[in-house]
Amino acid sequence: MVEVSARRTAAGVAAAAALLGSAAACGVADAADGSVVGKDRLVIGVNADQPGVGAREGDRYEGFDIDIAKEIAGRLGVAGPGVTFRRVYSATRERMLQSGEVDLVVASYSVTPERKVKVSFAGPYYVAHQDILVRAADAGKIRSIHDLKGRRLCKVRGSVSFPRVHDEQGIAALPVEEDGYSDCLTDLVGGDLDAVSTDDLILAGLAGEASGSGHRLRIVNAPFTDEPYGVGIRKGDVDGCEAVNKAITGMYQDGTAPRLLKRWFGDTGLKLTTTVPQFEGCV
Amino acid sequence: MTAVQQAPPAGPPAGSAQAPPPARRDSAGALQRASGRPAGGAGRLLPRTVAARIRALTALSLVLLLVLLGIGWAAIVNAREGVRVIGHDAGPQVVATGDLYFQLSDMDAQLANALLIGTAAGGGRDQALQRYDDNRQKAGDALLKAAKLADETTENNTARDLLDALGRYERLAGQALLLDRQSPHASGPPSQQVVGLYRQATDLMKLDLLPKAYNLTLDNGTLVRHTYEDKRSSVLMGRTGILVAGLALLAALAVFQLYLTRRFRRLLNVPLALATLGTLVLTGAGTLMLSGQADHLRKAKEEGFDSILALSRTRAISNSANADETRFLLDPGRADAYEQVYLSKSQTVLYLKAGNLTQYNDAVQKGLSFEPGRAPFLGFLGTEANRPAESAEQRARLADGMNEALAAYQKVQANDRRMRDLVKGGQRDEAVTARGAAAADFTRYDRSLQDLARIHQKAFDEAVADGDAGTSGWYAVLPAAGVLIALLVLAGVRPRLAEYRWSK
Repeated sequence: MVEVSARRTAAGVAAAAALLGSAAACGVADAADGSVVGKDRLVIGVNADQPGVGAREGDRYEGFDIDIAKEIAGRLGVAGPGVTFRRVYSATRERMLQSGEVDLVVASYSVTPERKVKVSFAGPYYVAHQDILVRAADAGKIRSIHDLKGRRLCKVRGSVSFPRVHDEQGIAALPVEEDGYSDCLTDLVGGDLDAVSTDDLILAGLAGEASGSGHRLRIVNAPFTDEPYGVGIRKGDVDGCEAVNKAITGMYQDGTAPRLLKRWFGDTGLKLTTTVPQFEGCV
Repeated sequence: MTAVQQAPPAGPPAGSAQAPPPARRDSAGALQRASGRPAGGAGRLLPRTVAARIRALTALSLVLLLVLLGIGWAAIVNAREGVRVIGHDAGPQVVATGDLYFQLSDMDAQLANALLIGTAAGGGRDQALQRYDDNRQKAGDALLKAAKLADETTENNTARDLLDALGRYERLAGQALLLDRQSPHASGPPSQQVVGLYRQATDLMKLDLLPKAYNLTLDNGTLVRHTYEDKRSSVLMGRTGILVAGLALLAALAVFQLYLTRRFRRLLNVPLALATLGTLVLTGAGTLMLSGQADHLRKAKEEGFDSILALSRTRAISNSANADETRFLLDPGRADAYEQVYLSKSQTVLYLKAGNLTQYNDAVQKGLSFEPGRAPFLGFLGTEANRPAESAEQRARLADGMNEALAAYQKVQANDRRMRDLVKGGQRDEAVTARGAAAADFTRYDRSLQDLARIHQKAFDEAVADGDAGTSGWYAVLPAAGVLIALLVLAGVRPRLAEYRWSK
């Protein structure tokens, strides 16, 4: 009798202790399970083919997105050597976040409701707009998206920018197919097309590259979409998302973000917004 | 075997003379017996005399009782604090700051209305300006609350920047209104200079004020989420702690009871048995109460607060989309951008795949029927439609409210289509007139969102009231139960110890 009841109580206590232990373990797991908060190394997914935004120069990456990514990492407590960049593509971003191959994605990554089903977004850190890039000599003729009617517009395969103008806005621009925006730039400079239309930050980067080689291009400054560039993060990492938002808020408050915008796009004639964007919210 | 038979003293007088030897022999016996029991190794550390053992068991029981009471007290403090912060303090204040966005965007909408309506008497300009002033006053109150809630530097800076930007906005609005009054015009777009000033004002609102107001509410929502998670996990830990401490005390009391039964050949030590029963009841009731508290907290947060805040964001964004329709008419130079922004705001509220507004309206009109939990659309309303509710009644109530909101939303989108078709057909004046009629439909939609929020508000209030009631009295119950159990233990032990008083 004694032994049985003692054993029972012992079992009860052990079970309760196990419960306590597992509850504690859960608490710890919730806080630290894969959250970007508290990591001492971060792998950040970036673009490699957008001059001024995210581009690979030799063995290092540079551009506005890259600087933003470094700043965010720094404010999460991960200094320079702890940050590794990995190239991502439009088609692979969600999968790489889900599998944990990258911790964050900072790659002109527009927040959309469909993507939000798969990954979470901190930020946006900037709201870009689709705009139009023309030769400076044509700037008087092309002043809004409607002036693209009957003109040759670059159509990059797989990009939504041309369909936005042609299908969604219903403007009968003439497509000139290319594989990437740097090819569009070559055509525009060479006079093989009249305009390139995509996110203004990317256009500004292209304009900057062209001016480096002595060609004068101009951004029309007639934005017709909002493209909130978010920081992709594993779905459910609410603590991480909030920490990134706080980092972005701080970057605008202490002038870092406006300084980076000016550094990369200040000479491009682009109308920049230097106040903090409206966040998506983490939950 | 012999040791056991020798051990119980026949009575105090006889025991008084023999007490030391039996005690020694008993300790030997205990060691012998201990070798046959699982806890043998610890036997060496046990006190050697019966009296000392009784005292030790008494002390152990009282210490465990204190631990139980301490854990219980801490858990109740956490539970009450959680309900206080979420139910009476930060929770309601965050909801109030959530309206800040609405008030600011409505200020801008009313400014656009006043400028579009023109200076003709009876055109409604005065009403628009009256509403502008009301909103400004409420926005000031909300901003003050938000600033009070801010507990971090970045949040404080955001609140200060907001105040600064609001001042600049007011200056531009005042200039635009004054200039507009100096060049009277009928209903329709005002002069180019006025439009220029309005553009500056609305840009400031859109790019500076509204994002910051929105982010501030998000920050404050984070505050509530953290409190909720901290307190709820503390309450659950406290529950586990009470269970463990209670079981440990029960075990100690059971061992005590058995020891006394064997040692003194009594059937049952009644006070000790009552103490055991009391512990059982206290542990059970405490565990149940804390489970209840954790559930009240969860309900208040997940079935109340989260939806109230999300619906306040929905209202805010819907209202600013509504203002984008006015701006579309007011400023033809930016009509493309305003149309696109209207689409993206609409898709934030209720997402259906569509490349342009015409496709979106078609998709919306095609039907928005949904099964709770499996809405075929995303966005704020999609999230709300999929939010789980515990009771079937609540689910039905929410589904009804949501269907009403969706029907009203379809009407709002249909009006938008008509207004834009009129403008495209060159009938701008008719479009401006149609805005007046559409306003009633928008008000109906906005009211349906408020009704939906009210259902959640009720769930929230109930959960908070339950939370308040659930712990009331426990600050008295706990010490009283503790004193009672302690007294019962002492009452059970005292006569037994008295038998040994002569042994010294």
